[in-house]
Amino acid sequence: MKNAFLAGSVCAAALVAGAAMAQDEPYDIYLSMSYIGNDWQAEAQNMVRALAESSDYADRVNLRIQVAGPNAQRQIQQINAMVQAGADAIVVYPISPTALNTVVKSACDRGVTIIAYDGEITEPCAYNVTIDQTEAGRVTAEWLAEELGGEGDIVVITGVPGTSVDTARTAAAMEVFEGHEGINVVGEAVGMWSQAVARTELSRLMATRDWSDIDGLWMQVGCYTANAMQIEAGIAPEDVLPCAGEGSNGGRIQMLPADTAVEGGAMPYAPMGAPRISYASPPYSGALALKLAVDILDGAEVPKLTTLPLPIVTSETIQLCETGSWEEQRDGCNAFQPSLVANPGWFASIFSEELPQLGLNAALVGQAEN
Amino acid sequence: MSGTPARVLRSLGRAQGVVVAVLVFAGLMLLNALLSPFPLSYFDISFLSSGGATTAIAAAGQTLVILSGGFDLSAGAVVSLVNAVLASSMSPTDMDAPVVLWTAIGIGIGAAVGAVNGFFVAVLRLQPIVVTLAVMFIVQGITLLILDTPGGFVAPSLGAVFLGDAVPGLLPAPVALIGVLILLWLWLKRTSFGVTLYAIGSDVESARATGLRVRAVTFLTYMLAGGLYGLAGVFVSAQTGSGDPLVGNALLLPTFAAVVIGGTRLGGGKGGIVGTIFGAYILMIVVNLLLSLNVSAYFSTIAESAVLLLAVLAGSLSRSSTLSLRLRDLSDSLRARRAGRLVGQRARQDRRLAFTRPAERIDAPGILQSHGHTLRYALPSYACLALVLIVTQLLLGNVFDGWRYWDSLLVLSCFLIVLALGQGAVILTGGLDLSLPWTIALSGMLLTGLVAGQDSGLWTAVPLVLAVAALIGLTNGLGVVALGLSPIVVTLAMNGILQGAALLWSGGTPAGFAPPSLRWLMTGEIAGVTPIIFVMVAFVAAAILLLGRTAFGRRIYAVGNSEMAARLSGVRTGRVIVSVYILSALCAALVGILLAGFSGQASLGMGDDYLLPSIAVVVVGGALITGGRGHFAGMVGGALLLTAMQTLLAGTALPFAFRSVFFGLVILAAVIALRE
Repeated sequence: MKNAFLAGSVCAAALVAGAAMAQDEPYDIYLSMSYIGNDWQAEAQNMVRALAESSDYADRVNLRIQVAGPNAQRQIQQINAMVQAGADAIVVYPISPTALNTVVKSACDRGVTIIAYDGEITEPCAYNVTIDQTEAGRVTAEWLAEELGGEGDIVVITGVPGTSVDTARTAAAMEVFEGHEGINVVGEAVGMWSQAVARTELSRLMATRDWSDIDGLWMQVGCYTANAMQIEAGIAPEDVLPCAGEGSNGGRIQMLPADTAVEGGAMPYAPMGAPRISYASPPYSGALALKLAVDILDGAEVPKLTTLPLPIVTSETIQLCETGSWEEQRDGCNAFQPSLVANPGWFASIFSEELPQLGLNAALVGQAEN
Repeated sequence: MSGTPARVLRSLGRAQGVVVAVLVFAGLMLLNALLSPFPLSYFDISFLSSGGATTAIAAAGQTLVILSGGFDLSAGAVVSLVNAVLASSMSPTDMDAPVVLWTAIGIGIGAAVGAVNGFFVAVLRLQPIVVTLAVMFIVQGITLLILDTPGGFVAPSLGAVFLGDAVPGLLPAPVALIGVLILLWLWLKRTSFGVTLYAIGSDVESARATGLRVRAVTFLTYMLAGGLYGLAGVFVSAQTGSGDPLVGNALLLPTFAAVVIGGTRLGGGKGGIVGTIFGAYILMIVVNLLLSLNVSAYFSTIAESAVLLLAVLAGSLSRSSTLSLRLRDLSDSLRARRAGRLVGQRARQDRRLAFTRPAERIDAPGILQSHGHTLRYALPSYACLALVLIVTQLLLGNVFDGWRYWDSLLVLSCFLIVLALGQGAVILTGGLDLSLPWTIALSGMLLTGLVAGQDSGLWTAVPLVLAVAALIGLTNGLGVVALGLSPIVVTLAMNGILQGAALLWSGGTPAGFAPPSLRWLMTGEIAGVTPIIFVMVAFVAAAILLLGRTAFGRRIYAVGNSEMAARLSGVRTGRVIVSVYILSALCAALVGILLAGFSGQASLGMGDDYLLPSIAVVVVGGALITGGRGHFAGMVGGALLLTAMQTLLAGTALPFAFRSVFFGLVILAAVIALRE
């Protein structure tokens, strides 16, 4: 590869000169996002930006962020424009796993590194950073089945229909539920991965039944909202139903034992010892993709598929952070003070072993640790 | 072709929209070439041409429908459907699948869906916007039944033909394809079909009276448009080599933008496909420009909206355009004021002619006589509602034996009921407000951000949020009235600007949450009833009075029936139109506040699911999309019907695909019941 060779020779020259810099010019790296009108995307963007501006990367990377909107046609065009503009690498949040294949292939052919995060690109020359969505669906469904002792009526709230992430998660979960004779799915609704939609759909589901008619919930996003609705319906915090779902900070705070002291927040954004398993597509995957892109350009060996560890938090492993620094999260904390994170729908799975530059502030406001 | 210079000028003037679109496109291409470090190669041209082709072809279909005075919301869904069918039925081992056959299949599927649209619009004479909305839901459902996740296979032979070279090194295939389309269009325009199409769009009644075959041509138009969406679907399949059931859905708004940038008048009768195609490519080249100029992510929707507005504005500027008319009006009235001749400056005295006398009294009409018309259009939604309620009771129970169901139904409907007043008033004047989604989201975020969870903050936050909304509405209204732009363009651009504003203001993460009293309003209870329901009863009563009994309400209907007649009768139509947009923005802000209270917090995309339902509710409630007809009581029925339907579907374990189909069928049934 030309770039690898270049980087290598520059590196050798730099060593001779005794400088710490491995390259004389920063890499031109582009980020093609899809839609930024939701919390997850905004958070992911903050983290990518923070990493690019951190002292480790500020001189090494020239990052330009562009948004394609929800239209795959535009992302195709955008990636091609990025190639034309002379990108060394392109980090992509793919709108569609398949629609980009042709343009990605032609970018690879022109020596540009393409790396996708969260969603996958099926074209073999692209690098992918993602979690195992099937595993996520299976593990959470198994937790719920076990929590219910293999018996009970449950409600399922899915994601955006027609996407591969939703299909993989839901199919895996349904397979688990079908394996348990006693588990009945009594209601199923489309949650669009949004707390607001989850609230509307749950209200519709509950219009014709009572909370006591169901025993548990499996949701891709919405456990925080489900718990809030039970509290509103007069159910005591210690009696809320087991819920397998997303990694929002509001949900994490609810998982803390009821007597935990937290700063800020008010019921239902408060500790209540809710029985939960919490997982998420971590929003740091974009930042990690950027890091890997630099590694690849430096000539390092990076596998085509990076499967991130599934960020699973259960009522047993939940732990409150004081400041949310990277070190603190490394030591095991995974929920943030409501006084720091005002929005309970904010995604809390932001810790990565490999990104010491990124703490709470990176995800909140795009500010790196160093 | 050539004639006197005056004739050339005249035909250029008539084609101003197209000329401007071509000039803007050329200018943007030049700018892009200047900014790009590398010269434009054949490869780049080839890639650019294929990038914009799908939008261009689909928008060409949309142009036909819009020329006939219609509106097609099913365009994007048909593109997805064809892509899904091709990707799921082509054999992965057959690398050389026959291109002509599969292209014909794609076009055929599109034309079939178009024929369904055409049947309901042309033969049953239903309103295009609701028919195509219902068909959109049905087609989206069918698409998910065929292909529930991205995947499948499209033979590379398709890609080789559609994305290859027509003449190697000289003419890329997409350019050739578009060229063929343009030639076909130029021919079609001159046939009797083409002439009739323009006649229908200009004035359907005159066209019918002249003996033109209105019904057949309208039907054919929808079929032809469907065929073009099908071709766009084939192109997407060739371009991506596989299937994605959602790939076309996001194409819908860009096709409208392409049509209006290309100089076609919404409402019909003026414009054409050539302008549209350039409009589509302008939209695509903007992507490259934003990249070259390194416009930051949060500003991208704002920049795009600006391009949309400027392109449309430039296309409409002339001595007879609304903007110059308004300017002339303004200078005239200033001059009159200086000369002391302005009507308002004359002494106020009774100038009635001496021989006029009060009109003769006629007998007060009976209830049925005076309200029959309203009932005729408001009742169907309630009849359908009753039907849905009975089915819910049979399938799920708990409807008629308790308050819980009704409470949920009313609380969930309240968002649509409030939106129905704003959107309804706008539609009654013949407009449409597409800026609702981000007005809702921005209002919700402003509120939660300002109050910081404190009840005391509401006193300053709510007025401030409403003031911002009023400003949004005022800007929309002025764009429509003073600049003379189509409401769809103005509000679509406003939506993009508001999205950018919301992102900039929140930094991507909306702060704060709703104060306790607002949460209590939406989720608490007074004697088992959620408090918002009492507020809604008052709201509905006030809204019915506002639209039905006040002078303002009467003026809205007057403007919707005929703006010209209303103006000549002394109604200050400009003010009425500006006010309905303000009303609509205020209603959207109220929904933003209520939604924040309902969810406990605000989120960025919280308004996204309310745009199409807000239109559906108004039309299902008996309003005419072209304005002038409709009663708020009917719209309330529409809101209840839609919510009851969604509640019923959520309660069943039906897969989402079937729900989408059912939802579409119910909307269709409701409008069939409204048929004249």
